[in-house]
Amino acid sequence: MADRPLTIFDMFGPVMIGPSSSHTAGIARIAFLARSIFDGEISAAKATFYGSLARTWKGHGSDKALVAGLLGIYPDDERLGFSLEIARRMNLNVEIISEYRMPGRYHPNTVVIELSGGGRTLRVRGASVGGGSVLLQSINGFDADLTGELDAVLVLHHDEIGVLAGVTAALAGHGVNIACAASHRREKGDEALLVVEVDDHVPSAAIAAVERIRGVISAVHVPARSC
Amino acid sequence: MNTRFSSAAELLALVAESGLHLPAFMLERDSFLTGKSVAETHEELFRRMAITRQSLQRGLSERQSSFSGMTGGNAILASASADPPVRDGFFNKAVAYSLAVNEVSACGGKVVAFPTGGSCGIVPGVLWAWHDERETGEPFRSDRMAEAFLCASAVGIVIATKATLSGAAGGCQAECGAASAMAAGALSWLMRRDAGSVFNAAALALKNSLGLACDPVAGLVEVPCVKRNAFMAVAAITAASLDAAGIRSYIPFDEVVEAMRSIGESMPSSLRESAEGGLAMTPTGKTCADRVR
Repeated sequence: MADRPLTIFDMFGPVMIGPSSSHTAGIARIAFLARSIFDGEISAAKATFYGSLARTWKGHGSDKALVAGLLGIYPDDERLGFSLEIARRMNLNVEIISEYRMPGRYHPNTVVIELSGGGRTLRVRGASVGGGSVLLQSINGFDADLTGELDAVLVLHHDEIGVLAGVTAALAGHGVNIACAASHRREKGDEALLVVEVDDHVPSAAIAAVERIRGVISAVHVPARSC
Repeated sequence: MNTRFSSAAELLALVAESGLHLPAFMLERDSFLTGKSVAETHEELFRRMAITRQSLQRGLSERQSSFSGMTGGNAILASASADPPVRDGFFNKAVAYSLAVNEVSACGGKVVAFPTGGSCGIVPGVLWAWHDERETGEPFRSDRMAEAFLCASAVGIVIATKATLSGAAGGCQAECGAASAMAAGALSWLMRRDAGSVFNAAALALKNSLGLACDPVAGLVEVPCVKRNAFMAVAAITAASLDAAGIRSYIPFDEVVEAMRSIGESMPSSLRESAEGGLAMTPTGKTCADRVR
């Protein structure tokens, strides 16, 4: 667990739909985060379960949890158990693949989610690290380290001078305090993904201001949801 | 406020220094750590307690089945048992209640992990059984019940800080074993209102589950987990009984947790939630795994 002191609700929580905090609740959270990052209507989805999840997703209802998250249903919402029916009614097709072999650097409970819709695609790799806690480790090929426990702003930008300064100034200008920020690029001069975790609510005006910064391609607010 | 402790001894020193009792200290500490008011924290505690009560009612009234078909309906059987060998309402309710809450989890219903999903029936099972048999006049939202849930959390925080609460890391001693220690501590608080006794009862309970394998059939949180919730509820009651009689754990709580950590590290991975050993590898277990994969 984290270095922060543990609280009552680290023990007495999360509130969740069973059976498993890591294989059910955590998967719903990863999918929920993917939906927030995609930030648009999803027309097709594919999920690949690795490792322990590949072997046990049927019995843990990880498929229901995943589809629930994509539909915006949180791990403590009893509609989670009916998510497959809800998705069918909404014509959302989710393909599920079990991959028993997995790359060594993957966490033992890993899911890769690929979303498409409106001419856009998103590919995230998430790890369910225990007790419902999750880590998004890769977003569209960029390394990331997103927990979803704090509000976050994701900024896709060209790797050029001044972008980071612009983003921090825009957030500060809207009263948003930065808890943690990390920029990940594939190679020098290429595109980069800036992941900023913040303490405060992010107003939509702050996102609009970030998107006006020279060099920024797009920005999205990923709200925190604990359970 | 000093909120950091890495052992029960340090926690008890902080509690003594604060002038508060143990559950009040835990509540103040949480409020300090999260920035939420004590009243808000208390309300969130009541909200989660109410969810455990709903899980319990559901598990006792609805015949359920898990996705695998291995789990369901046993809480109803337990609560309707015509001639149980022990004729004590508290004991029999603790058995049925802990099964009920954990069955709801295994069958995809709404629960509160405490400390994990696989062990979520033990603390609420013991505490609500106590409430329903011994404190029937108290409302569900009583301060006394809240104190008990807070004491259980305090025990869990010490175990998580010094060792682990993950079956994959430490075997079942870290999940159902920890929950049993938490329930024992909470029950001791209800009887004695003494912080030292909370950790004495917890030590007695935790010693009883050292080395326990986590060998779930088909890798699912069902067999042996659900029925083990009932066994661990009884172990918690036994520990609280010893504590109430003035019996001390020869090994203090912090050292028991240290032993638990060291045993967990030396357990083979086949007995740490990998479904590659123990009950998971029995012929029946393997047949089930083939069926649900």
